[in-house]
Amino acid sequence: MRVLVCLKQILDPDVPARDFEIDPAAKAAKRGGANLVTNIFCENAIETALQFREAAGDVKVTALCYGESSAEDCLRKAMAMTVDEACLVEREGNTNPDAAAVGQVLAAAISRLEQDGGPFDAVLVGRESGDWGTGQTGGVLAEELGRPALGFVESLSPGNGGITLRRQTDVGIEVAEAEPPFVVTITNNEDNVPRIPKTRDVMMSYRKPLQKVSLADLGLDGDEIRNGFSSFEVEEIFVPTDEVDCELAEGDTLDERVDQLARKIHEVVASIG
Amino acid sequence: MDPTQATREVFWNIQYTWLVYVLMVPTLAVFGWGFWLKIRRWRAGQPAVRFDRLGERFQLFLRNAVGQGRTIKSRYAGLFHSLVYTGFIVLFLATTVVAIHHDTPLHIMKGHFYLIFQSLIVDIFGLFVLVGAALAAVRRWVSKPAKLVYTDEASWILVSIFVMALTGFIVEGWRIAVTDDVWAAWSPVGNLFARASDPLMSDAAMQTGHVVIWWFHLLVAFGFIAWVPFSKMSHVFTAPLNIFTANLDGYGGSLKAIDFETAERFGINHLGDFTWKDLLDFDACTECGRCTDVCPANTVGKSLSPRDIILDLQALMHERGDSVLANGNGNGSGNGDAALLPIIDQKTAVSPEALFSCTTCAACMEACPVHIEQLPKIVDARRYLVMEEAEFPEGMMDMMNSLESRQHPFAGTQFSRVDWTEGLDIDVMADMDDPAEAEVLMWVGCGGALVERNRNTVRATAKLLKKAGVKFAILGREESCSGDPARRVGNEFLFEMLAKGNVETLDRYGVRKVVTSCPHCFNSFRNEYPQFGGSYEVYHHTQFLDQLVGSGKLPANGPGAQAGNGETITFHDPCYLGRHNGEYDAPRNLLAQVGGARQVEMHRSRNTSFCCGGGGGMAFVDEPPDQRVNQERAQEAVDTGADVVAVGCPFCATMLDDGVNARRGERDVKVKDVAELLWDAVGETEETGEAAS
Ligand code: SF4
Ligand code: SF4
Repeated sequence: MRVLVCLKQILDPDVPARDFEIDPAAKAAKRGGANLVTNIFCENAIETALQFREAAGDVKVTALCYGESSAEDCLRKAMAMTVDEACLVEREGNTNPDAAAVGQVLAAAISRLEQDGGPFDAVLVGRESGDWGTGQTGGVLAEELGRPALGFVESLSPGNGGITLRRQTDVGIEVAEAEPPFVVTITNNEDNVPRIPKTRDVMMSYRKPLQKVSLADLGLDGDEIRNGFSSFEVEEIFVPTDEVDCELAEGDTLDERVDQLARKIHEVVASIG
Repeated sequence: MDPTQATREVFWNIQYTWLVYVLMVPTLAVFGWGFWLKIRRWRAGQPAVRFDRLGERFQLFLRNAVGQGRTIKSRYAGLFHSLVYTGFIVLFLATTVVAIHHDTPLHIMKGHFYLIFQSLIVDIFGLFVLVGAALAAVRRWVSKPAKLVYTDEASWILVSIFVMALTGFIVEGWRIAVTDDVWAAWSPVGNLFARASDPLMSDAAMQTGHVVIWWFHLLVAFGFIAWVPFSKMSHVFTAPLNIFTANLDGYGGSLKAIDFETAERFGINHLGDFTWKDLLDFDACTECGRCTDVCPANTVGKSLSPRDIILDLQALMHERGDSVLANGNGNGSGNGDAALLPIIDQKTAVSPEALFSCTTCAACMEACPVHIEQLPKIVDARRYLVMEEAEFPEGMMDMMNSLESRQHPFAGTQFSRVDWTEGLDIDVMADMDDPAEAEVLMWVGCGGALVERNRNTVRATAKLLKKAGVKFAILGREESCSGDPARRVGNEFLFEMLAKGNVETLDRYGVRKVVTSCPHCFNSFRNEYPQFGGSYEVYHHTQFLDQLVGSGKLPANGPGAQAGNGETITFHDPCYLGRHNGEYDAPRNLLAQVGGARQVEMHRSRNTSFCCGGGGGMAFVDEPPDQRVNQERAQEAVDTGADVVAVGCPFCATMLDDGVNARRGERDVKVKDVAELLWDAVGETEETGEAAS
């Protein structure tokens, strides 16, 4: 069996608030002092795929990323976690393409990988990204591939003929039996915390195949893809400011201060109407 | 009575003396064979260079083997060990004298020498052995401290020693009594036995008894000699050898780099991967338990026991190791599976849980009378778990993840590396026209820049440097973790990456002098970076500030001269400044500059300081509430009655802050870095301090 995991490289969401800056002209976050990391739900997806491989046996796991050359680090890390092979589609143009553009690129890359190595039984995509968090890529990709999709899956295991999926819903866990091929978006639970690679595997990751393809290789050099805004356009991006207005209740005694405070609350409530 | 003619008959009352020589042959053969087995085992270990620097080695040998420098540090055990040790040496010399006198033409056992040495001195030292063994027996069977290992073997050793000394005096006494020895007064203890026996026994009974006890004494002694290599008594030989071949580089430099290109395995989980010196360590252990007694993790009730790690590995080596070690050079080329005998075992003292509670404080190594190196073995086993098995506690995992992606261990910090400089106008190397203008690199450290409570420490340090007119700069965003936490938890690969990166950055700016307020960074820079080509003049901030005060560049008697306010200060020695690097005085000198304050010492201070619990990556692990090393230490600090606990390390600061808050009760006890206290004593406002720059 073959399983594919899609990855996204993002700015470290744990960057200290005051290090986070925006470039208004580019309508994007500035890299600044922040590091680039693999989106956490994508790492959960890798872990889920690897656990499926461990349970099912003969499974090959491939990682796919659409990003800049720096995203090679994410793929290397995935291979250090023991993903078998990796492919990077080198991004051009807009640094922040929307889900529609990304879905098309990934679908084209998947077709290419399937031509070379056979069909993927399951395609795993992180639930959403830690930067924009639109949560659409999985759905768009399924549409592009023409395959059924399920969201919020937390584990895959070998089933009777098909693959058994556990997914989180508002009312509890739903267990589904799925017939490959399909697309799932992966969410986190306590069992798919990404593993820390063994050092030997980190070293080995540099010897595993990492394929690089360009948009042109995939026959996708239209402006729409390159501009990355095929479905919507970002008009403005800014850091919201919260203003805190602090006033201390005055008074000599506790009673007076409580009294003041109560009056103030009344005023505020009245002003909000 | 001519004293120049004084002597005694060797083998008085003894027939078949040739039997002595016959019995000696198997005794010495077994003795030799036992040690040959040991030496063969050690030689199968991996190579290690421990016969270099002979001058230093002889000095150490004289101090701590011959001179028992470390053994006597424990008062009671040191006393009885010295008694038995010196007693044995003198008795051995006496036996040699007898042999020379009897078996060679040199009849030396006579005259004043016979009276003074062979009779009086030997009697006194024989008594030492008797008393020493009795004192040891009281400890083993009456006071029973937890640090001892209670084995039958240890009991039999004590009994044998006591019996040998006692029977020696009995045969001497009976000989004196029966022969009416005119020189009896020169053998006071033997004489006492003679006097005591005289009224109770006939001469004939004593003469018969003498023969029986004489042979019994001989058999016990010969049996004991043959048994030495197979019991912990072998320490008589292994301990001095172990001391001679000890690590001379200080604990701070005791972890070795790994050649990742060629290493077959990372870290150690196989008996065969230890060096011969490690294997010798296992055999040198005297079971004294001092290491476990001082171990902070053990003290708070965790399963870690450095003594048992050594003893369990010794047992493994003795019981199952021979085939492994004898069969190859330990690199797995021996006889297959046996060469891979694993050392990490949930059921022994070498369990992952125990290994991962070590704070790498080195208290065990400092306490060990025979210089056994427990810490590097613990880290080697951690290396295996971390790098080959990816097995470690969750907190350490988050720390390593953060190191990998952010080059600092504090995931989720709200600060950047330069936030603390706000308003201080500090040069950043990358922004300087000529970085060479900075004579000193102030290495801030993650713990200083990114943890709120420590930012004041680095601010104080920077302000003091400015006040003293030191031309310094920081690396700002170009600084990354020194790698200390990665190396201690066993992620050598990550450490190497960080270390190489830092060496490259420092070399790019031509840095020569580094000052840091983090003893962990200090240790890595000083002792470990040379392994990666980075050699700098490295100072802990207390050392550098002490020099500035000493040379008059930092006047401490400013407006805040009485900043001490009549308070009492106790200084907590950071493991990586003190034990690992031998600096105990600089911080204390600086505290002496805090006018109006009084210093008190904790019970465990200087080289016996007790860890704050934060080293070895433990600062990132959640300890069970009833097993917190930091609270144990905080209690000790609070118990001194001090108002201020002075620290010299960002990890100690956070660990002790937490601990003191839990243990101070109603009292107001503050935790402050020495630099903060010194800045208060210099007593300028931030503005004037800055103006001085
Ligand atoms: S280094 Fe410290 S914590 Fe580790 S075993 Fe030795 S005494 Fe215990
Ligand atoms: S390792 Fe050293 S300190 Fe520990 S029990 Fe053995 S001899 Fe004593």
